[in-house]
Amino acid sequence: MIGPIVQWVNALLFFYYLACNLIYLRLLLAAIKASVSQNRRQKTAWLDRVRRSPLTPPISLLVPAHNEECSIVESVRSLLRLDYPEFEVIVTNDGSKDGTLAQLIEHFQLTQSDYLYLPQIETKPVRGVYLSRTERRLIVLDKEAGGAKSDAINAAMNLASKPYVCVVDADSMLERDGLLRIMAPVVNDPDRVVAAGGIVRVINGSQVKNGSVRDVRLPWGFLEMMQVEEYLRAFLIGREGWNAFNMLLIISGAFGVFRTDLCKQLGGFRRGAIGEDLDLVVRMHRYLREQDQKYRVHFVADPVCWTEVPSTFKSLGNQRARWHNGLAECLWHNRRMLFNSRYGRIGWVAIPYMWLFELIAPVLECLGWVSILVAALMGLLSRRFFMQFLLFGYVFSTLISMGSVLIEEMTYRRYNNWRDLGRLICFCFLEHIPYRQIHMLWRLRGIWQYLRGNHTWTKIERVGLGKSPKPSVVAG
Amino acid sequence: MPSVSRLLDLMGPAGLIVQALLASLGAVVGLLAFILMRRGARRVYFWRRDRRVLEARADWDGIVDGTIPPKAWVLSRMSREIVEGILLDRLEVAPPKECERLLECLRFSGLLDTRVHEARIWRGWQRHKALLALGRMRVPEAIPALMEGLDDDDEQCRIAATRGLGRLGLPRAAVPILERLSTGKLQVPSSLLLDALIDNCRATPALVLTYLLKSVDTAKPLLARVLGEIATPDLDEGLLLLASDESSEVRAAAARALGCAKPSLALSILTGLVDDEEWFVRLRAVVALGELEDPRAIPVLLHGLCDRNRQVRIRSACGLSRLRDHLEDIICLALKTQDAYAIQELVSELERSGGIFELVTAMGDSRRRAKAEAALLAALRGGCRRILLDLVLNHEDWRTRGMLARLLSRSADTELLKIMELFDSPGLPLRKRRVLRWLERQLAPTQSPFSQAAKVVA
Repeated sequence: MIGPIVQWVNALLFFYYLACNLIYLRLLLAAIKASVSQNRRQKTAWLDRVRRSPLTPPISLLVPAHNEECSIVESVRSLLRLDYPEFEVIVTNDGSKDGTLAQLIEHFQLTQSDYLYLPQIETKPVRGVYLSRTERRLIVLDKEAGGAKSDAINAAMNLASKPYVCVVDADSMLERDGLLRIMAPVVNDPDRVVAAGGIVRVINGSQVKNGSVRDVRLPWGFLEMMQVEEYLRAFLIGREGWNAFNMLLIISGAFGVFRTDLCKQLGGFRRGAIGEDLDLVVRMHRYLREQDQKYRVHFVADPVCWTEVPSTFKSLGNQRARWHNGLAECLWHNRRMLFNSRYGRIGWVAIPYMWLFELIAPVLECLGWVSILVAALMGLLSRRFFMQFLLFGYVFSTLISMGSVLIEEMTYRRYNNWRDLGRLICFCFLEHIPYRQIHMLWRLRGIWQYLRGNHTWTKIERVGLGKSPKPSVVAG
Repeated sequence: MPSVSRLLDLMGPAGLIVQALLASLGAVVGLLAFILMRRGARRVYFWRRDRRVLEARADWDGIVDGTIPPKAWVLSRMSREIVEGILLDRLEVAPPKECERLLECLRFSGLLDTRVHEARIWRGWQRHKALLALGRMRVPEAIPALMEGLDDDDEQCRIAATRGLGRLGLPRAAVPILERLSTGKLQVPSSLLLDALIDNCRATPALVLTYLLKSVDTAKPLLARVLGEIATPDLDEGLLLLASDESSEVRAAAARALGCAKPSLALSILTGLVDDEEWFVRLRAVVALGELEDPRAIPVLLHGLCDRNRQVRIRSACGLSRLRDHLEDIICLALKTQDAYAIQELVSELERSGGIFELVTAMGDSRRRAKAEAALLAALRGGCRRILLDLVLNHEDWRTRGMLARLLSRSADTELLKIMELFDSPGLPLRKRRVLRWLERQLAPTQSPFSQAAKVVA
């Protein structure tokens, strides 16, 4: 009785895997095409036009900070140095227990004020608003811990006075022209573009001076390198590919621009949402499709946001589990969109993809390993077929990773060193065993956390921007 | 029953897997080779390119004067692109005399003709590139080729042509756009059209007004928006007409134009627009009034400060805070309105714009002290307490701290005592604690909640 079940499970998983790979291949091809044309457009799309145009809209940069004393000053400095005609920076100290607020007060000469705070979106109580004596574009909001990043962003959004908000993580650093680049699609089509996201890259290993990245290098740690590969694949293939089909569901919470009025209309980032970035974009799609509005959510691969990634298994595991927990929570919250014709291609393609190939992928992957094991034990597995299949899986995954390196090489070329290129290529071959399996376990933990109702904002251990635990090699 | 794996074997997926495996392997090897070879090729290309750039820069005067014949470099595509790139970059920043020299070089070397030819003959990406390059050349000879681009079926081509025309910066280049726009023939994103028209019509805003008055409904708001950026005082009568237009977008643009041009009639027209039924027209009107920086606008801006829309209130507060010499009067008048939101908005803006810091600093100047103190006392009555108390404790200049403390002690504002409680934390240095105690005694010598709380703590 067990034999046929195992066989059919194996067959189903085989076709699942086949479908998954075909989707990846399609996304890769779409991403290559989109990246090349985007690169051509960038060559002639003078940023100068966005900079000097009187039509370029002002932006409020929202920076949620929770126990970020290592990087907050450097991060805010880099934001204030951005090249953009008009913007304000609103930092929310979300009940930090370390010296985040003290660092800000000391370095930016903050003064408590009676600045008008209207809680249009409900948040945890605000303890005070601070203004800087030296930098008028900076506002710091001190509030009680909300337990989630969304609460901190919403509090900042209540203070935002500009027509667009840009959410930036406190442990991240934008490139100087990052805002100009991310706003280019908004300036070109302000009526339709409601949100735009940029690419997030790994800063570990690079040299940072005076709030900007001076020498872009790859990190030396195995885990950090794995994340470089992952980020390249996720952004240059995943986001770019979905963007080409106008089905982008995620704008990274580390760097994304949204229309303020629409955000406020939706009640801001959902309180209690862990994957608040995904959740907001999904709700935007939902709302705008319900209103029958023509809109576009854009991904721009050129504006770079540098972020520090976890360098220990524990931190990375926590982060990935949290991300998956957030995904589960968001998809369940918006389950009405699944296969609902009212939401068009979002309801029929993008959301089902997220359910099938993202959310339950670790469960199916785990099930696959178990069923293969059972089939092998029962003598039902063709060893030759299994080995060929395994080898195919390995080579195909390598091909997809190489595809992201190809896009990087053909378009943005941040890693100019030959040695860095060699390491990027090497890690395309190395990431499948055992990192992928460990990653699967982290994601399973995320699902488990969701089922248990664990929704806390966990702290990720950080060294501080540009302070790599291992020295970066001097450019050759 | 045969195993599913065997079945798959018979049906062919196993064979398919082998084929897929081989194809993937081939693709991986191919990609690897392509990436490495491409990087190698680029290295050689940039090495050659850098060498040619250096040569071109060394021979630059000869190239521009024509002493080095164009034949020597124009036939090589790389050299041609390098010289064109340098030429166009220099054109952006060159003074008029140098510009003439560079334009002459563009003409006699054949660079201009080559680009015109490319813009007419080529298709796709190469054509877009040629159209944009023509725009950067800033010569009227480029207009016909760019006009042809405007009528193309390809949207990207129309966009490139519009951007090219915008880069020319010549009133003549605006005419084809204006003509197509007023007849509703041009389908290009509006922001590109706006930018192109603003760049081309900056010197001749009357041209836009002429087309605006005879344009169809859809183009009217767009042209009005252009006028909002480039209007000059001599257009006051036209702006008066636009301010009473039935389209709210045109009225808003007229308000913007009035703030930009500042004609003599501006104040009276804008005063009327502050009561408009559309919030964004009122918003534009108060922004423009703020830009006038005219004290006669204070009552109107105070009216805007009490508007039902928050954005209008914020912008009115911005406008009022710009009138730094009249802050005392402004705050007193705002207090008289008894509109708590309006007062709080004004105080917030004063704090945000650095107005309070400036007033505190001005206390150190004997000539400005009296006025600054009066304004600060008014701000205190308006609710500006925390910031002043914080400055009493933390301002870097001890004289300013002293003067401010004395000023607060004279204010007789008992609300300050409640705020002082929040400041009095156990970690507060002794000096600051003494200042708080002194202020407390001055403000409420007998019974203050602050002193009672201190007693309880003791």
